[in-house]
Amino acid sequence: MSRDGVGASVTRGGGYDRVTGRQRYVADIHLEDVLHVKLVTLDCARARIRSVDASAAWRVPGVRLVTTAEDLPRPMPRFGPQFEDRPVLAVGETKYHGEPVAAVAAETRDAAEEAARLVHVDYEELPAVVTLAAALDPAAPLVQDPALRPGDPFATTNVLREHRVAWGDVDATVADLVVEHVYAFPMVTHFAIEPHAFMAAPDGDGIAVWSTIQHPYWLQRILAKLLRMPLSKVRVLAPDPGGAFGGKQHTKYEPLVAFMALRAGRPVRLVLSLEETFQAARRASASVRVRTGFRADGAFAFQDVAADYLVGAYADIADRVVSKGSYPACGPYRVPAGRVVGRGILSHTPPSTAFRGFGNPQVNWAVESNIDEGARALGIDRLEIRLRNLARRGEAFIPFDTPADGDWEQTVRTAAARIGWGTPLPPGRGRGIAIGIKSGPTTGLSYATVRLLADGSVIVYAGTSDMGQGARTVFAQIAAQELGAPLEAVTVVMGDTAVVPYDAQTSASRSSVLMGTAIQRACGQVRDQLRGMAARLHGIDEAGIVVERGTVRLPDRELPVLDVLRRGLGRLGGELIGNGEMRKEEEPGHPLGGSAAFWEFNCTAIEAEVDEGTGDITLVRHVTVSDVGRALNPLQVRMQDEGAAIQGLGHTLMEHYIFDDHGRIRNLGAIDYRIPTSMDLPLELHSEIVENGDGPGPYGAKGMSEGALLCVAPAVAAAVRDATGAVIRELPLTPERVWRALHGEPDRP
Amino acid sequence: MHPFAYERPGSLAEAIALLGRHGAEARLLAGGTDLIIRLRDGSLRPSVVIDLKRVEELRPAIREEDGRLSISATSVMTDIAADPRVRRHFVALAEAAAVIGSVQIRNRATLAGNICNASPAADTAPSLLVYGAVVVAAGPAGTRRIPIDEFFVRSGATTLQRDELVAAVELPLPARRIGAAHVRRTRRRGHDLASVTLTCGVDDAGVTRLAYGSVGPRPVLEVDESGTLADPGSTGEARAGVLERMFLGASPSPRSMRASPEYRVAMLRALGERALRMALDRLGGG
Ligand SMILES: Cc1cc2nc3c(=O)[nH]c(=O)nc-3n(C[C@H](O)[C@H](O)[C@H](O)COP(=O)(O)OP(=O)(O)OC[C@H]3O[C@@H](n4cnc5c(N)ncnc54)[C@H](O)[C@@H]3O)c2cc1C
Repeated sequence: MSRDGVGASVTRGGGYDRVTGRQRYVADIHLEDVLHVKLVTLDCARARIRSVDASAAWRVPGVRLVTTAEDLPRPMPRFGPQFEDRPVLAVGETKYHGEPVAAVAAETRDAAEEAARLVHVDYEELPAVVTLAAALDPAAPLVQDPALRPGDPFATTNVLREHRVAWGDVDATVADLVVEHVYAFPMVTHFAIEPHAFMAAPDGDGIAVWSTIQHPYWLQRILAKLLRMPLSKVRVLAPDPGGAFGGKQHTKYEPLVAFMALRAGRPVRLVLSLEETFQAARRASASVRVRTGFRADGAFAFQDVAADYLVGAYADIADRVVSKGSYPACGPYRVPAGRVVGRGILSHTPPSTAFRGFGNPQVNWAVESNIDEGARALGIDRLEIRLRNLARRGEAFIPFDTPADGDWEQTVRTAAARIGWGTPLPPGRGRGIAIGIKSGPTTGLSYATVRLLADGSVIVYAGTSDMGQGARTVFAQIAAQELGAPLEAVTVVMGDTAVVPYDAQTSASRSSVLMGTAIQRACGQVRDQLRGMAARLHGIDEAGIVVERGTVRLPDRELPVLDVLRRGLGRLGGELIGNGEMRKEEEPGHPLGGSAAFWEFNCTAIEAEVDEGTGDITLVRHVTVSDVGRALNPLQVRMQDEGAAIQGLGHTLMEHYIFDDHGRIRNLGAIDYRIPTSMDLPLELHSEIVENGDGPGPYGAKGMSEGALLCVAPAVAAAVRDATGAVIRELPLTPERVWRALHGEPDRP
Repeated sequence: MHPFAYERPGSLAEAIALLGRHGAEARLLAGGTDLIIRLRDGSLRPSVVIDLKRVEELRPAIREEDGRLSISATSVMTDIAADPRVRRHFVALAEAAAVIGSVQIRNRATLAGNICNASPAADTAPSLLVYGAVVVAAGPAGTRRIPIDEFFVRSGATTLQRDELVAAVELPLPARRIGAAHVRRTRRRGHDLASVTLTCGVDDAGVTRLAYGSVGPRPVLEVDESGTLADPGSTGEARAGVLERMFLGASPSPRSMRASPEYRVAMLRALGERALRMALDRLGGG
């Protein structure tokens, strides 16, 4: 390990700027002559729009543009990462609380807000379905127009799609004990601190769009298609987001601001309020039925899982969340017969999208809790039953996928030891342990360009978005390691589709592995050119030359890279340019389109104390252990795990959307939607890293940063049950819900 | 935000004149931690905002005079919670001031704003009720003193007249020794609005005052003069019976999403007992 190369706990680049307000986020960028946009929404979820009268809005001084569905191309342009189902503005009918019907652009934000209030929408409220039960009622109104779903067998239902994975014969398998329960997971939102922001400006014969987007190249593709422009005329600028967590992966209001900017012939900007963000992105709630068959000795006989996810009115990426999230529901265990049915159920709620953990925490909560139920019934220790069934390295625990790629027992035993599993506890305390697993990327494509400049400094071009996970720092460490440059001399350029080569996406904890490899390969090309230079300068064969850590080794001596570079470039100067590519191709016939590049594996153990009088839970100790293959930057790995663990406490303890009869979000905003504060944290939080260099990424790294969130809920609920006997199968574990369980009061929705 | 005129009077007379001139169109501004939120979300759209922070007579001050502690209208929670006289004589008020919002909120939020906003969940209200605070209202006809129990009407409504403002809140220095404590229930430990906020005070003559908020349209004060609660010899059953009667005034809304009525009432009991124990301990400990 070197001071600033791979494996060093280098301080995260940009961290200081972020916390001191120096970082320029999209909302901080002020364009000359810009117009401010405000969305016009209705006070209910679902309504038939009869007419829109903007005459009063136009009379507000400073108003320059009012855009309604009438002003957009016909038929209404629709978009989405998976289905092109989402209209730029609602047409005919709104489908969720907050869906824009029109938008106003004005010289000031206040004028836009005032005018938006004065746009008169004549509408008739229609019944909305906002729960799974309501959406699945045969008499329920259809959320999506069947005409937009030609040839789809589910077109006349509110089922978006159904995904089945199975092996063995669940129905024919006999078990000594069968445990069956239903578990509920709440609808939650990402609550990134940076507001979602979108700007667009005419740019010659093209358009420039600034967005807080995680996937700028995907956005570029969608915009080019909607605007009928070549990709080269759509420039997406994506400054480092200030937290995203999946909520900023996909296109939202960029098409709207693009149409408005082209129409106005001026730049426009839209910065969402927190309330509008709640209506723009959220995690799917879920109801998961688990039937687990056990043998008397605790071995699993079968797992039978049916997970219904409540997705929004438009699919966004939710269908993928359902398929990929439900897929590893049976866990990292030896399960002779497994069956998982995941369904996305459409509803009149805001589009559900990617969120750290990507559909896995919902099923993990259910299945891990059900394992505890079985262990209790069989009288087997809850740690023991997990270790007994855990897949060992190389075991194909899902028969058609990547076998276990780590020493997972080591991770579980580390967590158990850290929590003091099996040691006596004071009265009123309890412990819980749970295991989380998630498939890494199944396909992927990343390009990187690396320039070694004449003075030995380096520029890395990587299309990853650094939203706080520290990709910039790790990429710089990789380049420093590969080319022997000091870290201070490495610059990482991101966030501009006109400058930086293509990257498919920043998701599924992929960037260190996929983009990291592309950067390594680009550095390899630079090293090859250095070898060629040295061979030419010294009249020897390239085969006898090695370039390593800033040194060019010839058969008879060693030279600093800079020395070879200077002489090799000659009087004109110049630079060396390397390109790298990393692909993970599709695998036809695989249920997910591809096997896991790696498994994210985590074990979380909790010690909790419960105040039986009030239902308050105190987390005395929270241990989270992740197998990351190799920690490229141990400090960042720990910070990511701590962040994920704490974020997981949100849906575990307090976060959830509450709807009223009109499908409106009642707790819209920070007053009644509670997220954990520093005062709500565990009294102790320990994060541990397991490193065996067994990942597919650079230096044996695996992806990480979602793992520590996956199984927080079942570990906490298990600790609460251990402490008090309270059985709760619905999250979040609010004080009132715990109190109800302890005092025999029926649960409230 | 809807545009409004901003006035910053320098004297009380000027402030009252402005209030008289603009009537219902005007809103007073102290720390703004309630008002600004409502201006921004559009639920209040005054045409004039009158800022009280430069009014000479209302400058931040906590003064001891004529047997009472007078807290001026622009005094903020941070200063109230830290004031040695408040901590000595009115510890439950210091405790309430110290849990309101966050550090940033407490640096802005005033006591007068807290009671004028008249949220049923206002955290200082129960302590003010227990200590028998008096609201000093200034209007065109001069000042009048309103006992705090007669100040609150219901959520958002007080007995303050349109042309009046609160100049100060006065707390009579207790003639007897009092042990008191403020406790509250929130959905999380970090800053939050209370689903029960409660103060209990017991004096050395055995009188127990219990005030609670967030369980009905306005905060409620109940007094037990029987001595049962203060008597260390009384049975748990007897105490519970008295407490139960004192909580009859609670009528939590079934529509609230913060807590169900059953839970609020159960927490009222749990917090009532807790605060009573703390109050008795403090009385005993001198
Ligand atoms: C994040 C956050 C957390 C909060 N947490 C709590 C909490 O835990 N507990 C709690 O009780 N409150 C809480 N509040 C509410 C608020 O901070 C308090 O009510 C505060 O005391 C209000 O004082 P202010 O000076 O900011 O009032 P302002 O907002 O300036 O005024 C409030 C109202 O009182 C009127 N007013 C102000 N001064 C006078 C006066 N002298 N005479 C007549 N009318 C007047 C104003 O016109 C307005 O209607 C919180 C608020 C926020 C934003």
